[in-house]
Amino acid sequence: MNKFRSIFYHLCRLLLGGIFLYAGVVKVMDPVGFAGEIANYQILPYRLNFLVAATLPFVEMLAGSLLMLNYKVRPASLVIGGLNLVFIVALSSLLMRGLDIDCGCFRPGAHSSATTALWRDVGFMVLAVVTFVGSGRRGT
Amino acid sequence: MNKPFLRKQLSILLRDAALIVALAMLVGMAVNIRLLWNVWSGEIPGSAVLNEPGSENEPLPMPISLAELSDLSADEVLLLDARHVDLYLQGHLPAARSLPWGEIESRLDDFRREVPLHNTLVVYCSGYGCEDSFLLAQRLMAAGYEDVRVFEGGMPEWRDAGLPVEKGQP
Repeated sequence: MNKFRSIFYHLCRLLLGGIFLYAGVVKVMDPVGFAGEIANYQILPYRLNFLVAATLPFVEMLAGSLLMLNYKVRPASLVIGGLNLVFIVALSSLLMRGLDIDCGCFRPGAHSSATTALWRDVGFMVLAVVTFVGSGRRGT
Repeated sequence: MNKPFLRKQLSILLRDAALIVALAMLVGMAVNIRLLWNVWSGEIPGSAVLNEPGSENEPLPMPISLAELSDLSADEVLLLDARHVDLYLQGHLPAARSLPWGEIESRLDDFRREVPLHNTLVVYCSGYGCEDSFLLAQRLMAAGYEDVRVFEGGMPEWRDAGLPVEKGQP
């Protein structure tokens, strides 16, 4: 049972880390396009969209890399959980306002509806919680 | 486990998480320093069209910043909205005229009859590297217009600066 738990935990950690590393890498290539995707949410003022586009992919890449390297797993999964919470709130506000845009979750211009992205983020949140709790038991 | 131990563990966890975020943000700002500097100083934030190889042989429209544009009166320039007409109807710059990039070929002859070639034109679209304003400006320059500028911040920069927005037809 412990072996099964351990395999499940490491799978969740690697999957979550890989997803966030990938999401960061593809967004870092086109910060202007990503700023446009963030602007579609109509939440932040003009300049802050660029600041978020310039920095968020690096937070995703660093946290994702740490999860994959099995180093500082608890704080990294906390950061990813926090990001996911922000994404879920932003996507929910989109849906409540009836805005139908591409979520900008991965590569700018890649199409993914807000509803699909919301369910995907809920799934990532589950992975983040499993990784956070599992790493606490191991003391990583 | 006692309370002081848990409190210490929690404070280490939050400190490490904050360090991860701060370090990544610093790296992101350092890598994108030029982009952020351009955005904060009101210059154009770099466009895919301007950076296209081969475009150096074609005449490129000059950029115009928000500060320059807001100082100009409606008599001095003709504003052109290159976005889809639905977006134009939802809100556009005051006195701007709708000329969607997708309709330019069918409307160019009428436009040339109405607007003299020596007029100063300012074209905008949805900002953030949106290409339609550049493409429309280049097409207008190829059609003979001498002074065509691109307001790259477009509708988002104008609206977020708290400047007036008109809805519907002008």
